[in-house]
Amino acid sequence: MLLISLVRNEIKKTWRSRWIVFAVMGGIFLLIAGGLYTYYVISQGRWSPPPAVAWQTTLKAEIASDQQQLNFMEQAKQQGNGGPTSGPFSIDSAITLVKQQIADDQYLLDHDIAPLQSYSITVAALFAMGGIVMFLIIRIFGWLASEQIAGERSDRTLAVLLSRPMSRSQLLLAKAVASFLISLAVVVVTFLIVYAVFAFVEGSVGPVTGQVGLAIDAAKPLGSSNLVVMPILVFVLICLGATMLGVLCVQGMSLLVSAVFGRWAAIGITLAVLFGAPLVSTVVAVIIIGISQDPNKAHFLNYLFVNVLAPVSSISAVFGNGPGGSAGIGLGEFEKENLTLAAWTVAFFAAAWLLFRRKQEAG
Amino acid sequence: MAAPIVEVETLSKRFGRVRALSEISLSVAEGEVFGFLGPNGAGKTTTIRILLGLQHPDGGTARIGGFDCWTDHVRAARLFGATLEQPALYGFLSGRDNLRLFARSLGAVDEKQITELLDLVGMTERANDKVKRYSMGMRQRLALAQAMLGKPRLLILDEPTNGLDPNGIHGLRILLRKLAEDGMTIFFSSHLLSEVEELCDRVVVLHRGEVKAAGPLSELMNVKGFQYRIDVSDVDEAMRVVRSIDGAAVEPGTIKDSILVNSDKDIARVINHALVVAGIGVDQLVHTQRGLEDVYIELTGVAPGSPLSSAPPPPPPPSPVGAAKS
Repeated sequence: MLLISLVRNEIKKTWRSRWIVFAVMGGIFLLIAGGLYTYYVISQGRWSPPPAVAWQTTLKAEIASDQQQLNFMEQAKQQGNGGPTSGPFSIDSAITLVKQQIADDQYLLDHDIAPLQSYSITVAALFAMGGIVMFLIIRIFGWLASEQIAGERSDRTLAVLLSRPMSRSQLLLAKAVASFLISLAVVVVTFLIVYAVFAFVEGSVGPVTGQVGLAIDAAKPLGSSNLVVMPILVFVLICLGATMLGVLCVQGMSLLVSAVFGRWAAIGITLAVLFGAPLVSTVVAVIIIGISQDPNKAHFLNYLFVNVLAPVSSISAVFGNGPGGSAGIGLGEFEKENLTLAAWTVAFFAAAWLLFRRKQEAG
Repeated sequence: MAAPIVEVETLSKRFGRVRALSEISLSVAEGEVFGFLGPNGAGKTTTIRILLGLQHPDGGTARIGGFDCWTDHVRAARLFGATLEQPALYGFLSGRDNLRLFARSLGAVDEKQITELLDLVGMTERANDKVKRYSMGMRQRLALAQAMLGKPRLLILDEPTNGLDPNGIHGLRILLRKLAEDGMTIFFSSHLLSEVEELCDRVVVLHRGEVKAAGPLSELMNVKGFQYRIDVSDVDEAMRVVRSIDGAAVEPGTIKDSILVNSDKDIARVINHALVVAGIGVDQLVHTQRGLEDVYIELTGVAPGSPLSSAPPPPPPPSPVGAAKS
């Protein structure tokens, strides 16, 4: 009961002190929506889209297109114009990938399983939401979470709260739950807004029920042993869950920083990590791949803190069962990355709890 | 004496090389108005932080209602309300919403109590204004209302008169007296000795982390003997006569045609007799009680509110009353 009261307090404080942030976020979403539609109108030369096409027709067209591309690449190889002949960027690797994509699409067609791409609005909305979360929302909620304790410490209201009959664990939990609930609301609303925008652009809400097939290992050919079929709604919930896990992980890190420092130090450290770590890891990845000429050598970076958030921003690529090796990582890898993310999250919250419960407050 | 609600035993605390508290002990009985005195840096706020569960001691114990303030904080905190040296409130909320928010952290919001408290501290008219628009005095009053939420048995007030104007101080004094009459225990930390002198039953004087004196005010203020002010017709002659009395120390008074006499024992009649016999006119002989300020200066060597609080103690002040006030 007390916990519910405390969570209510935290939500109220965040809203009343930071409503302008949410207003700005709403404005940004409106700008993105307007921008997307404007781009659509200009690039497609029409105000509304053409009628939707059945996924089987699209898949057949994709197979035909891939077959054409395969023929072109084989021709180039015979003429000796195909670039490097070995390594991950060789013509042979590209030919193998296209062959696999054709085989995968044919498998789905033969077994009457819709590919993810047939839920184009859902996938586009998830992809766009992932990008917004990755580049905007996790930073905003990282900042807000970093202020949750540190801001109150700087304003000295933390001392008043801690002198009340509640344990520090209860206060920390209330702050974490409040942050999570607010971010969950923002993520869900973001998804719904983006979905509505794409549905408007497409002129249809798209299929919202039905089954979808996903590769377990995107680098291998699809087949009964390398395929998970699930309802599209379950897939959407998995994606939202992974997104929220990413947000929660950042909130855990921010609370850890917040448990120790004052307001400005906490905000500075949190934003430095959230902006700096992707930059550093990208540079490191480029150097490693440049020297080794092998993308797999930089694979370990996926398990570092910020890189592990990548599934949030590249959900459709992760689940892409098309040209697996070039884009999607498959359900198995996605699961491993999310488990790593969960481990980071637990570690951050545990460290925040251990530090905060013994922290001496100056008041 | 009623059972103690605050018990501090051999409490020690260090901050790096600085020894903030050195095995201090004190207790506050239920229903008592307790004054906690000391210059800046004496360790008052550190003691209060430990009582509030914000910091843990390096040694010794601090209990409220028998519950350890650090290890059993939740149960101890149910017994008290507190204000900090600087009133800490949410500036982006109204005064009423601040009280609602803090009430919720106690479990439930009692709107009737909030309205009563706002009325009690004279904040009803400005209750719906945002706290960021409040003056320091208004914030102090709202912080006091916050401390009284849930009707605690003990009120811990750290410098509650900071920022209050004379009217505010007067109002606070009346309010605290009323609360004390209603049986609330008040732990009052202040450097305003006049407030402590008027309000408190008992005081502890802290200096450099050590208890320098403790006890009822009446005892503390007479601890070094008796003082008399005598209005006489001839000051020089009167001083000569009084000097001849065994145990009497005499000096010119601060008021015209008066002398001040200090003694370890009550010699009022002896002085009066000697002066009359010597033919010196005695207009009045007043037994003047030593002020708390005198005791404070003697114990700490620092005038209250003096910037010299962290400097070595200066020599004893020449004039006992008023001169040391900064």
